Amino acid sequence: MSRIRFTFTREVALAYLSHLDMLRLFLRALRRSGLPLEYSRGYNPHPRFTLALPLPLGVTAGEEIGEVFFSEKVEAGFFIEELTSQLPGGIKLTGAFSVGAEGPYIAALVRAALYRAKLKSISTVHGNARLVKESLEKMLLKEEIIMNRTNKKKKIVSTNVRPFIKEAKMFYEQDKNLELMLELEAGSQGGISPVFFLEQLQKEAPSEIPGVHDWHIHREKIIFVDNPLPAFD
Amino acid sequence: MFGLQGEKMSLEEAVINDILSRVQKPARYQGNEWNSCLKDHSSVSTKMVFAFPDLYEVGMSNQGLKILYHSVNLHDGLLMERVFAPASDMENHLREHKLPLYALESRKPLSTFDVVGFSLQYELSYTNVLNMLDLAGIPLRSENRSMSCPLVIGGGPCAYNPEPLAPFFDLFILGEAEEILPELLLEVGRLKKVVSSRRDLLLHLSNYEGVYVPSFYQPLYEQGILKAIKKLEPQAPDVVKKRLVTRLDDAPYPVSPVVPYIQAVHDRAVIELFRGCARGCRFCQAGYIFRPVRKRSMGNILKLSESLIKNTGYDEISLSSLSSTDYPSIGELIREMDEILTPGRVKCSLPSLRLDSYAVELAEKLHHGKRSSLTFAPEAATERLRRVIRKNISEEEIFSALKDAVDAGWQGFKLYFMIGLPTETDQDVLAIVNLCRKIRQDLKNRAKSGLMLSVSASTFIPKAHTPFQWEPQLELPLVKDRQEMLRSGFKNLRGTDFSWHDPGASHLEAVFARGDRRLALALERAVRLGCRFDGWSEHFSFQRWHEAFDQANLKMEDYAYRKFDYHDCLPWDHLHCGIEKDIFIEEHLKAIAACQEEENS
Repeated sequence: MSRIRFTFTREVALAYLSHLDMLRLFLRALRRSGLPLEYSRGYNPHPRFTLALPLPLGVTAGEEIGEVFFSEKVEAGFFIEELTSQLPGGIKLTGAFSVGAEGPYIAALVRAALYRAKLKSISTVHGNARLVKESLEKMLLKEEIIMNRTNKKKKIVSTNVRPFIKEAKMFYEQDKNLELMLELEAGSQGGISPVFFLEQLQKEAPSEIPGVHDWHIHREKIIFVDNPLPAFD
Repeated sequence: MFGLQGEKMSLEEAVINDILSRVQKPARYQGNEWNSCLKDHSSVSTKMVFAFPDLYEVGMSNQGLKILYHSVNLHDGLLMERVFAPASDMENHLREHKLPLYALESRKPLSTFDVVGFSLQYELSYTNVLNMLDLAGIPLRSENRSMSCPLVIGGGPCAYNPEPLAPFFDLFILGEAEEILPELLLEVGRLKKVVSSRRDLLLHLSNYEGVYVPSFYQPLYEQGILKAIKKLEPQAPDVVKKRLVTRLDDAPYPVSPVVPYIQAVHDRAVIELFRGCARGCRFCQAGYIFRPVRKRSMGNILKLSESLIKNTGYDEISLSSLSSTDYPSIGELIREMDEILTPGRVKCSLPSLRLDSYAVELAEKLHHGKRSSLTFAPEAATERLRRVIRKNISEEEIFSALKDAVDAGWQGFKLYFMIGLPTETDQDVLAIVNLCRKIRQDLKNRAKSGLMLSVSASTFIPKAHTPFQWEPQLELPLVKDRQEMLRSGFKNLRGTDFSWHDPGASHLEAVFARGDRRLALALERAVRLGCRFDGWSEHFSFQRWHEAFDQANLKMEDYAYRKFDYHDCLPWDHLHCGIEKDIFIEEHLKAIAACQEEENS
């Protein structure tokens, strides 16, 4: 058995896929490639493949990471060649690394993610970028930002997600560009999505701050507890 | 790095992308799927867009789309793209931004294509057809289109009686289009350079077998009754005959179909075993219009299946046809399929099962360990009524098949019935409940952990080109009564789950299934009143349809309840499905005889 971790980008052309759609896309590409997939045991075996962190619908990405197990040794270079030929435009493989089959899954190593949210049209702030900045500061001063979610038992669970916001900065170029740089915690220990973050920001001044759909969100990279790609060391 | 900055994008493209971030399931409108085909528009002679008047997930499951997309795009000189009916949120955004409906592959407006071809699968999608034309900025009525407008064509089962749509279409193709369509498109490309009017273009095209140009025929009414269909162009054929693929093994087959990213209704590879059905159930239009039965050879099936799996990456392949267990050597085929599919862990499935022990045996072979539920369609619960509709299966066979299935480990069964069939009585309807009760009593102890029956009753809709084409639909109040009989009957029956079709929607379907050209006006009014996606219960509004019919000064009852005589002129009399009227009359008489036989004995 062997394991490969790989990095990829997602462009606008394929931004509107859900996490499940992405899994399906990769599984079908892997099946077409004919690479020797390793299957899980049990009643309903499925290929052992995961993506480190679900990418929200509509969000583009610069460095995503996936992980796949093979029943025999597969060279990283060969993997890139075979899988690339089966991937649609809009998803690009940027690297692949063999890692031992032992050890934790990639998803268990995720700590946070780095996002940029850029206004699609600068006119949506009505020339009042300062208000966005003030609202952002006001929001960050809060000790509590509550997110309500319905769990599997259809009960509402409230979480304070403020601690998951590691960093949030604004960059502004007069009449040209307004961008937010966000570092948001993610993974099994809990986290906050950029979409929820922007919704909360808008709540600070609903009539004057752009809504979620006015931003283009780009995930620059995922940040891990340990470096998951030994080749980078 | 930063998605939007790196790419050059036209303003319209930016607007579309912005809209996509605001709608439900944006991947429906995104395109760029695996195996989708984007050609240079300036490099081909004829550009066609295949328009499916329902949601992407529904349309992408349609085998006709896959076949035609493949057979047209095979040609260097032709291109075909796709478009589906936008959901209401997308429609609103398009209208708000004054953006025309665009094709998925190139994102070019429909009006820039030479041909817009609608797939006409069911009557309740007609409002979507008109709405899509409107969103595309193409004049609804054929007579209002100029030379620069695309040719609007239609095909599929509903093209066998397309009269309610006649004023909106330039031509229909009757029958199977995979061989004629590329030929026709090349001819359109050639003719567009030499003819000076749409009429001349259509006149040329009407010489092709299978092509029906509705504007060349005029229905004549006397006191509201159709008396004759007058041919207006001497050159056009008296009767339009359907097109037929003679040898499936020689016809193009889509081994590289477009693979959707979002889950389609049928999310698997499909291999067609044969076309047509030898059973001849009298209510079933598909059973007649797809005749004769044409079989694909086993070698061809295996070869195509292998390519399909390799080209798509699907983990399931469906052995498709109207009645797959009737494939002559189905047992052997499944064994052979297993051999090529096992290494890639691909599952094989049968979509339709006949209610007999052999079918259960086959299903057992396919489900390695996993048991979900089995679907059967007895259609009627009494042997008398089954004889009338020619669903020849005895109660004994039903029970023995179900016993075998329970013994093999199945516990859930879906049973499909119809109500309102010709000669049906209250007793026949009550028999549905009784049959299910008996099934539960006989089998619940055999099943390890209980038996679950999902029973569904649809309403019979008399269709053109079937032996029941002369029959009226059961009147709406009676349909409702009989549905109520079933609901209250099943309420007291444990372990059964009963569902039924919206009676209003079935009524409307019957109106259009045997409708004539006068309905076009009601259809236009309905679209104007906001009717869309009438096949979806959450969108269907019977009230709005009543309003539309009132405005058009027409009555739904006149169409749904019309009982035709054999000598009456039928709205589709000039369209030939390959079966002579005499055969339908004979079958209809046999159905009536089957009913009387029982009464006399």
